[in-house]
Amino acid sequence: MINKKIFLILYISIFLSSLSAQLRIEIKGGLQDPIVIAVVPMKWNLDSPQKFFIHQVIKTDLESFGEFKVLPPRNMLSLPASKEEVFYKDWRLLGTDYLVIGNVQPANTDQEIEVKYYIFDVVREKTIHSGVVLGPKITLRSIAHKISDNIYDRIQGLPGIFSTKLAYIDKPSPIDPYYNLMISDLDGYESLALYSSPEPLMSPSWSPDMKKIAYVSFEEGSSRIYIQKLSNAERIGLKLEEGINSSPNWSPNGKKLSAVLSKTGNPDIFIYDLATSKWLQVTEHFGIDTEPDWSPNSRKILFTSNRSGSPQIYEADTRTNKIKRLTFEGTYNARGRYLPNGKGMVFVHRINGVFHIATQNLRTGKIRILTDTSLDESPTVSPNGNVIIYATKDGDKDSLAGITLDGKTKFTMSSLAGEAREPSWSPLID
Amino acid sequence: MNNTHKTLLTFLIFVIASCSSVSVDRTNDSTAISASATDTYSDSGLTSNNILYFAYDKSDLNSESRVKIRSLANVIKDNNLSVRVEGHCDERGTREYNLALGEQRAKTVAELLIINGVPSDMISTVSYGEEKPAISGSNESSWSKNRRALVKTF
Repeated sequence: MINKKIFLILYISIFLSSLSAQLRIEIKGGLQDPIVIAVVPMKWNLDSPQKFFIHQVIKTDLESFGEFKVLPPRNMLSLPASKEEVFYKDWRLLGTDYLVIGNVQPANTDQEIEVKYYIFDVVREKTIHSGVVLGPKITLRSIAHKISDNIYDRIQGLPGIFSTKLAYIDKPSPIDPYYNLMISDLDGYESLALYSSPEPLMSPSWSPDMKKIAYVSFEEGSSRIYIQKLSNAERIGLKLEEGINSSPNWSPNGKKLSAVLSKTGNPDIFIYDLATSKWLQVTEHFGIDTEPDWSPNSRKILFTSNRSGSPQIYEADTRTNKIKRLTFEGTYNARGRYLPNGKGMVFVHRINGVFHIATQNLRTGKIRILTDTSLDESPTVSPNGNVIIYATKDGDKDSLAGITLDGKTKFTMSSLAGEAREPSWSPLID
Repeated sequence: MNNTHKTLLTFLIFVIASCSSVSVDRTNDSTAISASATDTYSDSGLTSNNILYFAYDKSDLNSESRVKIRSLANVIKDNNLSVRVEGHCDERGTREYNLALGEQRAKTVAELLIINGVPSDMISTVSYGEEKPAISGSNESSWSKNRRALVKTF
């Protein structure tokens, strides 16, 4: 059955920031037997020239995680823009599994455009999806990412994540002495500094509605948690307590934050209620408790504690405050993040003195080490649970890298000018 | 038959004032959302001998450092100074854990200053975790210089 969906992309205003802190993505590896897809250059029925090509944005998106190989237009035998112009045999001959075609035309108003597109299953010779994405001309890149999401969803049966964003901290460099809180599309475009400071910025965390980012800033001389709205750059500092104020992390409903305060004399996990502006203590131990992460069902909070003598990951029940130790292998396990299905976690695991990213099945306790670089930290999971982006070193420089959960595809995301660290993956908003 | 349903997709709407991140001189940039610049960070502080070093993932001090703290305490008392103790870590391990570890280091030094007669209300502590290394480089010689606490006049 053909399922036609119309997407409308709203746009109010956008300010592009410099490209200096932009990420450059390089993919290593990939699947042995990727899905071959042809994305035909879309027919452009507008008077204004194209600044970039939709099919190229889609190609970059789909090849990001190694699952797809996108057929280059020079190998195509025809460039169909409508269903009638599609000859399945030609595409089968080229070894393509799927075909995407489309056309771009003016929409309701002068500044709006619509992209109509079709996805075909070449082997079964049928249309599996047709859709329309609408939006202001200036959002063309977002429109292309939305089409990539829909293609991914239709073929892989898993939500596409090409419309999500990455927040990260860009550390000072010779050309920019500031710490910058950056956000960017996954392909490195549309990068933007949300906040800049000569003092350290840390721990960005997206609100579940993708409208705000919580982070830590040292601008007042010590750590304080701020929440910044993306729509108008309005920022508020959470009630400052003596000592460390760090590690903000949103509750799944966006009404609370888990965080770390050391006002009791040592770092403990607290919950901040945004409605009442009050802190509620969750853990109470003389050791270090830090790096909280809320479980997808909001009942548990993961955290790191050295209460056993070395950093290990624990889970606190938010209703009973009962605490359970989760990691037992090795002497350094820290900064756990739940996978979106709540059945596993990703964390930093030290083995033979080297820090790697690992996953653990929360039912069996089984650990799997994913990365083979050193000094890997700050893992963040894609909202569809398929990919992990983390911070690592490229020589002496801080840079970001990614790996699919199956370990088959790796990629690096180096900052063109500065040094990127502390990635935080946005949620997926429909 | 086509099954058409319309979805309203409200994309991220950014109304952010221009945030150029290359501009070094921001003094005339009234729209930039940023904190104001301060002097370049430096380890120097109370005396030329104001740095205490720590072992990896540890916040206790050896006897040599304790002697150093005794002489720092005397300078503070003799001059009636307020001081700030800053705790730092090397880059290994996670950032937020290191922020906590840096605080423990600063507190160890603060407690020893108090034991040596400095009034507690003259001392404040802060941790920068691994955010402000003294020396860059991923090797033991850099790391050992970065695991430190600094006593600075405040």
